[in-house]
Amino acid sequence: MSKTVTIAPVTRIEGHAKITIHLDDKGTVTDARFHVNEFRGFEKFCEGRLMWEMAGITSRICGICPTSHLITSAKAGDDILAVAIPPTAEKLRRLITLAQWIQSHALSFFHLSSPDFLLGFDSDPATRNIFGLIAKDKEFARRGIRLRKFGQEIIEVLGSRRIHTPWAVAGGVREPFEVSKRDYLLAWIPEARETALLALKTLKSIHENFSTDIPNYGNFRSLFVGLVAPDGALEYYDGTIRIMDGGGNIIADKIDPHSYSDQFGEATEDWSYLKFPYYKPLGYPQGMYRVGPLARVNICDYIDTPLAEEERQIFKAMAGQAEAVNNSFYYHYARLIELLFAVEKAEALLNDPEILNPHVRSKAMINRLMGIGVSEAPRGTLFHQYWVDENGVLQKVNLIIATAQNNLAMNRTVRQLAMRYIDGNKITDGILNRIEAGIRCFDPCLSCSTHAAGQMPLHVQLFDADHRLLDEIRR
Amino acid sequence: MVPKKPKIAVFKFASCDGCQLSLLDAEDELLLVAGAVEIANFLEASRRVVKGPYDIGLVEGSITTPHDVERVREIRKECRVLITIGACATAGGIQALRNWKDVKEFTRIVYASPEYISTLDRSMPVGSYVHVDFELRGCPINKYQLLEVLNAFLNNRKPTIPTYSVCMECKLKGTVCVMVAGGTPCLGPATQAGCGALCPSYARGCYGCFGPMENPNTSALSRHFTELGESNLDIMLAFRGFNAYAEAFRKESDAHE
Repeated sequence: MSKTVTIAPVTRIEGHAKITIHLDDKGTVTDARFHVNEFRGFEKFCEGRLMWEMAGITSRICGICPTSHLITSAKAGDDILAVAIPPTAEKLRRLITLAQWIQSHALSFFHLSSPDFLLGFDSDPATRNIFGLIAKDKEFARRGIRLRKFGQEIIEVLGSRRIHTPWAVAGGVREPFEVSKRDYLLAWIPEARETALLALKTLKSIHENFSTDIPNYGNFRSLFVGLVAPDGALEYYDGTIRIMDGGGNIIADKIDPHSYSDQFGEATEDWSYLKFPYYKPLGYPQGMYRVGPLARVNICDYIDTPLAEEERQIFKAMAGQAEAVNNSFYYHYARLIELLFAVEKAEALLNDPEILNPHVRSKAMINRLMGIGVSEAPRGTLFHQYWVDENGVLQKVNLIIATAQNNLAMNRTVRQLAMRYIDGNKITDGILNRIEAGIRCFDPCLSCSTHAAGQMPLHVQLFDADHRLLDEIRR
Repeated sequence: MVPKKPKIAVFKFASCDGCQLSLLDAEDELLLVAGAVEIANFLEASRRVVKGPYDIGLVEGSITTPHDVERVREIRKECRVLITIGACATAGGIQALRNWKDVKEFTRIVYASPEYISTLDRSMPVGSYVHVDFELRGCPINKYQLLEVLNAFLNNRKPTIPTYSVCMECKLKGTVCVMVAGGTPCLGPATQAGCGALCPSYARGCYGCFGPMENPNTSALSRHFTELGESNLDIMLAFRGFNAYAEAFRKESDAHE
């Protein structure tokens, strides 16, 4: 009897996760899939727009990381103008990129993940959220909310609003920085650093409490992909692509982001709208790779801020000799290391006198007909590529978004969790909670957003070998 | 007897989630809000799980699939007051740009197996399918306006949300007019206030995040753009932005196609 099941996409759940789990005759899990069913069509409807508008339009892809799209789009614009942006503009863009990491990583840990850990997976879903956390431990929640606020404040101080700021532009940024704004932000640093350290301390106690669960959370070897600085340091704004395998070996390094399309392909499957990027030399689906915090902290040689580097060494030691940290649960750990780094690095940038230089924009017309922008969004490497005519009208757009690059790995994680926890023909709440937590390790945009003030909307279906629906659960 | 806390629910359709995140962005107010209302879960969308009724339903995102249509009708039944938040829910959002194109061509180019994409031809505002009690504008919304609207409905009064143009905000801020003084095309005269005249403060023209103001004179504005040397394409693109499918902007952009 065939074990392959094709899923007819009938019950679309717009913008939300759907998971299907497939059993064989003996009731053993053969496959599990993570489906994404939102289609907005950005790459296509941007055609015919002006290159100058792209930073504003692509920000609207995501309300959680609009700043990452803004910066990456502006960088693709720099490439089309063929200009070197003023050094101060680069520093300001770096600062806002770190701010994006701070607010997004704080959101991921305090608002979204910590309620599971601190209130318990099996606590009432109605209160297992930031509001429940406020009720349980007001001070911890308050500190987390304020750390995210610090990231958002940097964005607001620089860009005048937190979501969809029009501040960055091809050639630089629109407005110079000011002493009073710098001083206001610097005053936040001690509190922010302390909260980042508190988050790390809390996570380590979680590691102890969940030690029996952790080995099942997407624990497998894969490639890791991200940017590194020219000297191998953790990078967030620029640099070259490094690829590491699960054994900790660097298999490709110093790849110019302009040649990303030689390295990465995008497969599609009939059961998900989210594409499946893969590393071309290994083919699909063997070329599965992970991006984001776990990848970045794995691939870098060091972190150039002292406290975060100290943590990175502890992180590395967990993997043993010459291994990468392969367990997806440790995305949380890597994310908090990056959070600490972002606070330390933001302080260093704010203390750099050059950040106050009023020259922040290089002006030019269209000088190239194609441009690529790349940066590290909170969830991983983000690529924007635009083809324009001589008037700057978009002819073609290609966007490779972090969450998509983790698609294969998220599916693998769901499969691993299903195989470990599904027993028989029923889906229990406990299974649902663990699958949800497994997906949340990757902090995918679609879920953390829809679940912003509540829980992840999930729809799980269990099928037998004849594709008969055995059980389903929604919430 | 302790009075029952009002129940608020948030529902999402096609969008970037930025508007509902504005609720979390109200950090200082979040702790207070958590005490004053019950934030019902962002429960998803099948008939069985919409556990209403809710006092207020906030809806983000545009309607883009046949399933969305069913879902928004169910949501309407469960909400005493239905408020749409943001440009997607009130005007179809940036993804309404596809309303001028062949959506099948979209899916064919972007996806290898387009037959699996179930989507409507157009991205539509919530109000084109169900009655909406209040439309809160913005791409994204202004969090203070959101708090004002919630406050107003919870206290059975009319929200104080200005319907005048962005020009008023420039004047209040003392920002020099980018169009009169700098010759920069600006949608401000036809766009509803709410952003604090953000772009003109950067010496940039407004690009209409808050959608058309009450009774906007878009054709006079277009004539002015033409005098500034803007082409028909420029004018069409200007009106066809984040609120492209809002009636006044849609008609004006069509007139320049």
